Amino acid sequence: MLTVGLTQYLVLAAFLFCCGLFVMTTKRNAVGILIGVELVLNAACLNLVAFSRYRVGTIDGQIATLFIIVLAAAEAAVAIAIFVNYYRTLATIDVDKGDELRG
Amino acid sequence: MNPASLNNWLPSADELHLFSPELILVGTIVAVLVAPLLVGRRPAVPALIAVLGCFVGLVATWAVSTQIADGPQAGMVPPAAGATPMLLADRFSVFYKLLLFLALGLITWLWLIGAQKRNGTNSASERGATEFFVLLLTSALGMMLMVSSFNLLVLIIAIETASLPSYALVASDKRSRLGAEAALKYVMFGATASAIMIYGVSLLYGRFGTLDLSVIASTLDARYAELRSTVATSAPVTHVAVTDAVFWLGLAALGVGITFKIAAVPMHYWCPDVFQGAPIEVTTWLSVASKAAGVGLLLRIVSVFTVTGPWPPPNLPPAAAGHTYAMTVAVLVGVLAAVTCTVGNLAALRQENVKRILAYSSIAHAGYMMMAAAIIVAPSAAGGASAATYNTGMAAVIAYLFVYLLMNVGAFGATALVVWQTGTDHLSTFTGLGRRAPWVALPLAVCLFSLVGLPPLGGFTAKWYLLLALGKTAATQPWLWILVVVAVINTAISLYYYVRIIRQMYLTDDAALPAFRPPGGGVALVSACAIILLLLGTLWFGPLGRRAQALASDIYARPPAAQAELSHRM
Repeated sequence: MLTVGLTQYLVLAAFLFCCGLFVMTTKRNAVGILIGVELVLNAACLNLVAFSRYRVGTIDGQIATLFIIVLAAAEAAVAIAIFVNYYRTLATIDVDKGDELRG
Repeated sequence: MNPASLNNWLPSADELHLFSPELILVGTIVAVLVAPLLVGRRPAVPALIAVLGCFVGLVATWAVSTQIADGPQAGMVPPAAGATPMLLADRFSVFYKLLLFLALGLITWLWLIGAQKRNGTNSASERGATEFFVLLLTSALGMMLMVSSFNLLVLIIAIETASLPSYALVASDKRSRLGAEAALKYVMFGATASAIMIYGVSLLYGRFGTLDLSVIASTLDARYAELRSTVATSAPVTHVAVTDAVFWLGLAALGVGITFKIAAVPMHYWCPDVFQGAPIEVTTWLSVASKAAGVGLLLRIVSVFTVTGPWPPPNLPPAAAGHTYAMTVAVLVGVLAAVTCTVGNLAALRQENVKRILAYSSIAHAGYMMMAAAIIVAPSAAGGASAATYNTGMAAVIAYLFVYLLMNVGAFGATALVVWQTGTDHLSTFTGLGRRAPWVALPLAVCLFSLVGLPPLGGFTAKWYLLLALGKTAATQPWLWILVVVAVINTAISLYYYVRIIRQMYLTDDAALPAFRPPGGGVALVSACAIILLLLGTLWFGPLGRRAQALASDIYARPPAAQAELSHRM
């Protein structure tokens, strides 16, 4: 039987990170990009908890995870407020539609 | 209590006075929030509270600066041997707090002028005064924590505390289309960069088993000492590569976050768009404070990778000498600096919008400052481990930052005065400014010449110290000559677009454009910046360098006791 250890968690986290990166770079919808960001943050959280449990032995990684969860929530709140503001002026949340600033 | 939990500690009650600048700032934020409940929503009230807070904060920071002694972790007593603080209160961070309070005061001043100017035409900014100042002060608090933190978790929290209010500030004019677009781009870039950075932090945590930067630093030091002893016993040099893929991935991801904060290549794309779309007070704040804090963070991070000991290691074959982590980090920072500088200057050449020109100019200046960061990492053979050899680069950045603050506040402030008057920020709005508003045009010209780096202005002083530090270190690290050449060529390129604005002001004119009377407070602000720049280029040339040297002395925070115990973790 396969024992789940550090490696499996790290591979899963790396996979989540790659998914998040893919979503962030390909999605044109602002909420989609935000979801990609959350995936990357979750990958980081998983890494921190796994390292903390299997390698380091102290709980500072897990404490850091709690902080990052709160940060992610705060970031989403600010980001979505900005999306609403953007939607009110441009009636879309497609990031490519905002093209007045260029040069 | 488990002694392991004491390895990171926050200041005890009798050490809290060292953090009085931050505490005063928090108090100011609360006062700004509570004030509308007591006196009603008057726009001037939050601004006055902010000014008062800045003043008290400046005095408190000054008081703290007289209390702390030399050396890293000054004034702080660890509760256990080998414990390292999560927040530092050293001279470097105190300098930053002074700089940020100064910037905060200047921005508030600018905001007050703008509020007066726009009175009646744009009441939105007045209604949002409370929110504006809460966000501004909170981002200042985040920036102060950014430069004083020496723990990756505190660092992340500080960066987010600085970033989140900045995103909202860009959109603070809710009716502005450009503001909405700029804020969206900023928040998307920022969220992406910080997420990647946090992933990098998780990798570094796994690699080193700690979030503490000082422990990481001493672990790397121990590794370098091991390398030196291996070389000294003439064993084959197999341990030169002290690091691995996880380390480099983590560091690269961390670098994404830092380059985003200082708007350096490859994360500079947001900068011109955000600077153009944001209200001009916010642009000034971002270009000055956000960048300064980012550079401070960069210096903190690269100080971790400095090598304490003779360089290059005795008997190390030249081929191997280039392969230690410190050298690689130095070269990476140097290459990024050169590219940032060149990209910023070349892109500025074809801009027609003054805010965009200044945005690209600020990217280029980030490049100059990063060049000095490359020196900091590249240690000198002559002095060995002595801090004095590192300090030239560190001092150069500190001097540069101070001058940069004045140059940019002056240039953006003068631009703001013109933009508020004419309602557009296109280059053509500066036509004939020398006739129309001579007391705006003259200080603006001084600030622009200073941004080029022409004597006898502060910009020249800053660049002189930078090139001097590069040249001195290049004696032992010949690759740094490339940076010197890049810096000089870039200065020549930048002359073109700065002079273009000056030419528009003095050599072209359109009789149809009326003269205007700028507000006296605004003229005082930009003139003060110009006069101080003139003084920094002449009378204060030497004092600036000496002061910076004194401030740069204690950025290398290493806990003395933790070194031996933790070396097994690499």
